Amino acid sequence: MARVKVEQQQPATGVTLIVLVGLAIAFLLFMAFLNVVKSGNLLNETNLLFAALIFYAGAGALYLGFGITGTESYVKFASLATGLGLIANTAAIAHRWYEAGHAPFSSVYEMLLSFVWTLAVLTLVAEKKYGVKVIGTVTMPVAIVGVVLMQLLRTDVHPLVPALQSTWLHVHVTLAMLAYAACALSFALAAMFLIQDNVKTETFLAATSASTLAIYASVVLTRFEKWGGLSLVAWNPEQKSEVFLSRGVRLFVTIPDLGWLMTLTLLVVASPLVFYGLARWKKNDSFLTLANRAVFLSILLQVMTLVMFLVRASDGRYPSLDADGLFPTSLAASPFILSGLVGGVFISLLYLLLLWRRPDLGRLLPSADNLDRITYKTICLAFPLLTLMIASGAYWANQTWGSYWSWDPKETWAAITWLVYALYLHMRITRGWRGRRAAYFAIGGFAVVMFTFFGVTYLLPGLHAYA
Amino acid sequence: MVIDLRALAHKTWRTIASIQTGVVLLILVVILSAVGTIVLQRPTTEPDEMQSAYSPHVLRILDAVGLTDVFHSWWFLGLVLLVSLCITAASIDRFPNSWRYFSRPYKYPDEGFRRASHPQKSLAIADEESGLVAAQRALHSLGFKPERVVREDHFGIFAERHRISELAVYIVHASLLLIFFGTIVDGIWGWRGYLSLNEGQSSNIVELHDGSTRTLPFAIRCDAAGQENYKDGTPKKWWSKLAVVEDGRDVQKKEIVVNDPLLYNGVRFYQSSYGPNGKVDKLLLVATPSKSSGDKQEVGLALNDSVPLDADTTVRFAEFFPDYAVRDGQVYRKSNQLENPAAHLVVTSKRAGKDFDVWLPAMDGVADNSLAPYQFQATDLKMGHFTGLQVSHEPGQWGVWSGVVLMGIGLAFVFYVVHMRFWVVPVRDPKTGKNSLWIGGTANRNRDAFEQRFNDLVALVEEDLKTIPRTSRSEPVATGISN
Repeated sequence: MARVKVEQQQPATGVTLIVLVGLAIAFLLFMAFLNVVKSGNLLNETNLLFAALIFYAGAGALYLGFGITGTESYVKFASLATGLGLIANTAAIAHRWYEAGHAPFSSVYEMLLSFVWTLAVLTLVAEKKYGVKVIGTVTMPVAIVGVVLMQLLRTDVHPLVPALQSTWLHVHVTLAMLAYAACALSFALAAMFLIQDNVKTETFLAATSASTLAIYASVVLTRFEKWGGLSLVAWNPEQKSEVFLSRGVRLFVTIPDLGWLMTLTLLVVASPLVFYGLARWKKNDSFLTLANRAVFLSILLQVMTLVMFLVRASDGRYPSLDADGLFPTSLAASPFILSGLVGGVFISLLYLLLLWRRPDLGRLLPSADNLDRITYKTICLAFPLLTLMIASGAYWANQTWGSYWSWDPKETWAAITWLVYALYLHMRITRGWRGRRAAYFAIGGFAVVMFTFFGVTYLLPGLHAYA
Repeated sequence: MVIDLRALAHKTWRTIASIQTGVVLLILVVILSAVGTIVLQRPTTEPDEMQSAYSPHVLRILDAVGLTDVFHSWWFLGLVLLVSLCITAASIDRFPNSWRYFSRPYKYPDEGFRRASHPQKSLAIADEESGLVAAQRALHSLGFKPERVVREDHFGIFAERHRISELAVYIVHASLLLIFFGTIVDGIWGWRGYLSLNEGQSSNIVELHDGSTRTLPFAIRCDAAGQENYKDGTPKKWWSKLAVVEDGRDVQKKEIVVNDPLLYNGVRFYQSSYGPNGKVDKLLLVATPSKSSGDKQEVGLALNDSVPLDADTTVRFAEFFPDYAVRDGQVYRKSNQLENPAAHLVVTSKRAGKDFDVWLPAMDGVADNSLAPYQFQATDLKMGHFTGLQVSHEPGQWGVWSGVVLMGIGLAFVFYVVHMRFWVVPVRDPKTGKNSLWIGGTANRNRDAFEQRFNDLVALVEEDLKTIPRTSRSEPVATGISN
């Protein structure tokens, strides 16, 4: 069966790019240092984060450079840059913790800070302990986006409402983050297993298209307004919070034409899947070439949509269907849509990496057998963490609201996630499931995690309004 | 038709105890729980919200099937019970085997076992004893306690660690059953409700969530309550000083805040909310005589209080409106929120023989303040507050928490405590008469890490064998008699 043609690049020595990136990092750091010396305050949080950003950007550039040219020496320097970025990130967290008096878990900004730190740690762990050297191509771009997002969102230390002032909160949220990170890692490893197990590139094409389609469908189906606008939650800049009409009911503004743009992108993003379907149905592989072209187009369109969203949502005042007058909105009011859009671009770019560099990835990734085992081990780590997360959440709920289990959607879905991973373990240990079946199950498990984390808060309301 | 009851019972048992059944039941639990998060649930949704979300016809169907209260429906509870039954049956079914495995260690591997064993390695040795001694030393250095196994016609070495790991899975499942048991106990004997107290008020009646009330054998009195805010006005802390009153005595006192409840006799009182109750605590006034030149008096009045201003006049705090509106010469209460407060004072003068109405603020068209013998100015208005307490009694939670701890231990054992066994058996080849040392091992988890450890052991034994002095190795064993 004809495969999609992959361009063979001449293997470069790679020294040029490494030197360039190194110089760029040094230059940026020097400029920052000059700036900082002028203002006087060297080690404040913003500067530390900026340093982390520079290092992560350097790492990301090198990983992407590997992605484009296949030069393996980039990977080594990329992990060095990641390590340096992690040091700066840790310092930023320590500073924030000290300034705020509580662990950085109580606002979107702080969650991003902790999340980016965890990503960097996981990248280094995966490289050193598991030998998965290319995981940085996935995690570093995400970290960069995270740091950029942090700059766009509020940075002020927000005091905690009474219910959140508990040690058990910190325990619960830390465990949640570690558990979800472990699940994310198992997902990445399972996907890598499928790559090494020679799953066809077209299947990844279909999966990528389906995932981005799911993202855009959930945005369009919930926020498209009759005349082509997009509904976003209004934001109160003075109080740094969403605007509420009454208890639990948010005020939505309509940004004109953005709804049309989202719908257009949805159609383009769905087209590779359509072409894939046609290729399977008509047994004609020329549709696959069309599908890959459609992926390029969808990336362009997704980036454009993201930029338009960033521009329109961060500035300007918009009308609302529920109240008179114009109201501002903010990126902080729509963290899920923003994550979804960024995530969509990201997933599509990862597919391109696979499309262009599959042979190189095949060499750099561990063997399929190893990946299968490592995936299982990661889930063996994730499952106890999930258990402890649910237990600490129940204990905290008991202390605060007098009930350790109230079947609120977030709790229920956390339990569902736990059950799904328990099923994975049963299937593996007692039924001997291995290989592809286990990998698909692990991927499915992560889909449930994604729904628990994003879907429940975005689509189903409840007590868990804090996160 | 003859129904073979014994066979039927056997088949039923096999079905209940099978993992397949467990998986199917778990999938059902997952699906039904998911449905319970998508369909609006009655316990957490206002009735009018339910009515507006679904058409009456759909709502009737949902109610009838139980989808509007999935987690308290009989079929969901039944499903959870079935899952528990399945776990119990599966554990009972498999436990005897595991127990046999656990209690009777397999200390000497016979030839068939040795053939099939993985990993394994055979090393050439000069004589049995030196081989065994080398193996013993190697096992010791790896942290194992090797023992000599002596049977009638063969002997060897056996070393193992963490045999308890074979039973770890039962600990996990038992803990799960313990948690279920705790939640069932709470479901039957537990209750949760709400109690709201004004400052100084005491009560022993709790409003339960289903609308009924429950009378406690003791009362709770709120001595004081308050709220602290951050600089930007958002609430920082709600606190209440509570006292438990039983048989007329204060038996316990505690200041509670959110996250730190009061516990008495298995009942917990949680700080849930705090706010103004729309009632005035005290009104502070300055009273000046209208006509004569007298001194200003400072007066503090609670609602319906009367205070004498002089020998002749008393003033009573007759009415209070937190949010007043005037219409047609009448003062009405617009809302309970403290927006536009108004106070109605009645000044009684014995000499004049009548009452004068004084309104603060002055209300033209309702009463003329200037007629009264005293003029009043309000200096402070202290409002009353209520403290909202969640009350709960959950006798089963000890089952739940101990189950959680046990599960933590169980999972730690399941994932991280590995049952490792090593056997070392000297073997003489009947044909060549050469001695070799057979080394084998197993682990019930993390087999790849174990293989590494096995290779380490073999390397250590080899190292040890190399250092045996030449003299004892030079004696050839030439008996030719097989073992």
